[in-house]
Amino acid sequence: MQRALRAGLKYHDFDVRAVGSGEEALREAAAWRPDVILLDLGLPGMDGFATLRALRPATRAGVIVVSVMPGERDKVRALDLGADDYIVKPFGTEELVARIRAVLRRQADVSAGEPVVRSGDLAIDLARRSVTVNGRAVRLTPTEYELLRYLALHAGKPVTHTTLLRQVWGEYAVGDKYNTRYVVAQIRKKLGDDPANPKYIVNEPGVGYRLEAGT
Amino acid sequence: MTRRQAPYAVAIVGAVLITGAIALISSRTTVPGLSAFYLLLVLWLGARWGRGPAVAGSVAAFLLYDYFLVPPTGTFTVSGPKEFLELVVLLAVALVTGQLAASLRQTQAAAEGLATESRALYELATAALRSPEVATALSLLRERATRLESVTRFDLVAMDFGQVTPLAGSEPTADELHQATWSYENGRPVGIAIGDGAVKLVRTVPASPAPAFLPLANGVAVIGIGAEHPDPAELRMLAALIGLASLLLDRRRAGLEAERARGFEASDRLKAAILSSLSHELKSPIAALRAGLTALAAPQAGLKPEQQELLLDLDGQATRLDRLVGDMLTLSRLEAGVELDKEPHRFADLVGTTMRQLRSDLKGHEVATDLADDLPPVEVDELQVGRVLTNLFQNALEWAPPNGGIAVGAIARESVLEAWVENDGPAIAPADLDRIFDTFWTRRARGSGLGLAICKRVVEAHGGTIRAENRRRGPRFTFTLPLARVTARR
Repeated sequence: MQRALRAGLKYHDFDVRAVGSGEEALREAAAWRPDVILLDLGLPGMDGFATLRALRPATRAGVIVVSVMPGERDKVRALDLGADDYIVKPFGTEELVARIRAVLRRQADVSAGEPVVRSGDLAIDLARRSVTVNGRAVRLTPTEYELLRYLALHAGKPVTHTTLLRQVWGEYAVGDKYNTRYVVAQIRKKLGDDPANPKYIVNEPGVGYRLEAGT
Repeated sequence: MTRRQAPYAVAIVGAVLITGAIALISSRTTVPGLSAFYLLLVLWLGARWGRGPAVAGSVAAFLLYDYFLVPPTGTFTVSGPKEFLELVVLLAVALVTGQLAASLRQTQAAAEGLATESRALYELATAALRSPEVATALSLLRERATRLESVTRFDLVAMDFGQVTPLAGSEPTADELHQATWSYENGRPVGIAIGDGAVKLVRTVPASPAPAFLPLANGVAVIGIGAEHPDPAELRMLAALIGLASLLLDRRRAGLEAERARGFEASDRLKAAILSSLSHELKSPIAALRAGLTALAAPQAGLKPEQQELLLDLDGQATRLDRLVGDMLTLSRLEAGVELDKEPHRFADLVGTTMRQLRSDLKGHEVATDLADDLPPVEVDELQVGRVLTNLFQNALEWAPPNGGIAVGAIARESVLEAWVENDGPAIAPADLDRIFDTFWTRRARGSGLGLAICKRVVEAHGGTIRAENRRRGPRFTFTLPLARVTARR
């Protein structure tokens, strides 16, 4: 698996280094300073989550978690621990490359400090607190704006229900996921988005939401 | 002088003293009816010691009064009818008073006995119920029961889940265990019955040494009674002890059941762990295959177009294999009794998620949605229902003609949401409409026969139903989901 991935990624012009355990990953992350780290949760030795926890303060690299379990609990836990994205095995090289590019693009956007986040014809101007679809202004309640703003700040990245609840409503609201579902439904309605085929805010089943990034 | 003789001595001495007192008073002045003093004595004797001393006191008073105070004094003869009458009245009144006082005393003694009995029972019950070990509590009970004079045996046999267990140090013979089981299974007591708060003996042969069997809710009491006519108080006590034993057996059973539930839980956890590791073992090689095949198929790898095509075709097969493994694992998880993570969801969101996941497959097909804005939310496990929708969509994709239409919709009906997925494909043979949901049953050689079986399991786990039918334009799959009972808040 590792050899196949390394070959596949090299064809796409990535510099790749592979290690076999969490401890080595920590050392390599500090010494080599990669842009993106692929972390398999089923690591031998040090547990994948423990590695993620140790990795996060040690590096600014984007972390994509690889898991064989389609269960949503692992994803939520990894994202809450600071992972940028996750991918479930098995996957094709193209899919993985797309995820890596998305993480890299996001890193570039964040460092550029772009005040306007775009998702298709939706534009969120973080400096002026305004939201427009196709140039037409959309009026959102403060709660709706806060939720959209948080998703915009992490455009392209899945954001968990827990994180949204904590960021928008505060610590006491954690656990009441229907809050986020209700507000997202309201936002979609105002943006003219079809819930059965959403363009802007997409569901991450069992995890949360993601704002589609890019124009 | 023994303890039994003392009251009689007191009776005689008392009568002598009173005679002396009456003689002293009558020597000074004439007071009629002084003999009434004797009655005080008799009353006191009766209340204190019962009938015997009271009668002794009455007779002593009668004789002393006659000898010393009824003229002619110094003899037991009576001078006239008046004196005779006085003596007879004295004796009669003394006897009756003594009798009354004695029976009063007996009633009081009985009440006290009852109070002692209930206090003892209460203490035993508290000790028994407080003891964390049911076995200890039962031993206490057994010990108390065998202290009763007429009870020779008090054994308990627990009956749990078809298993017979003698308890608290009792050692019934194999034959007795057999009888106990019979009694329990038929709910029929043998040689004994409980009624009106006491044990009743039902004997065919008098004083038979064979024990009696009394079935309880979770066991049998094996009782031996030695006496021919046991004390009723003891039989009451025995009934109370049996009641307590029955309670303790219930408690023991509850403990066993909790333990069993924990055991089942552990076996469920084991099943889940095996499935999880199996899924890891099966999926990891497929993951490596797909990673390698897709890496080589990349243009940068420099293979010829037909070689690339072959690799992509193989990757498609690996993907199918992955889906099959996934379906089998899902089905076994559902069969092992998966725990649903139910939450309120908007059905349109669930459809949106599925359509997004399948968007590359759905290309070229028109998907019509009929989902009203005001559809009430459903209470479901998002991932599981997502699987139902995914499988129904994939089924529709498989059967819909190229560029054919697929439609999805839902309406609310009382307490359920009725949802459907339909396609323009060929009709399903009427005979197949039911078995289409059976495991491994498929209309095509290519299908795994698991997709619709999973749909049925998931929908049924949510308390809903699923059915297939033919419309004029093509097949339709309809299923129900429970509505959520939430009020939306901001």
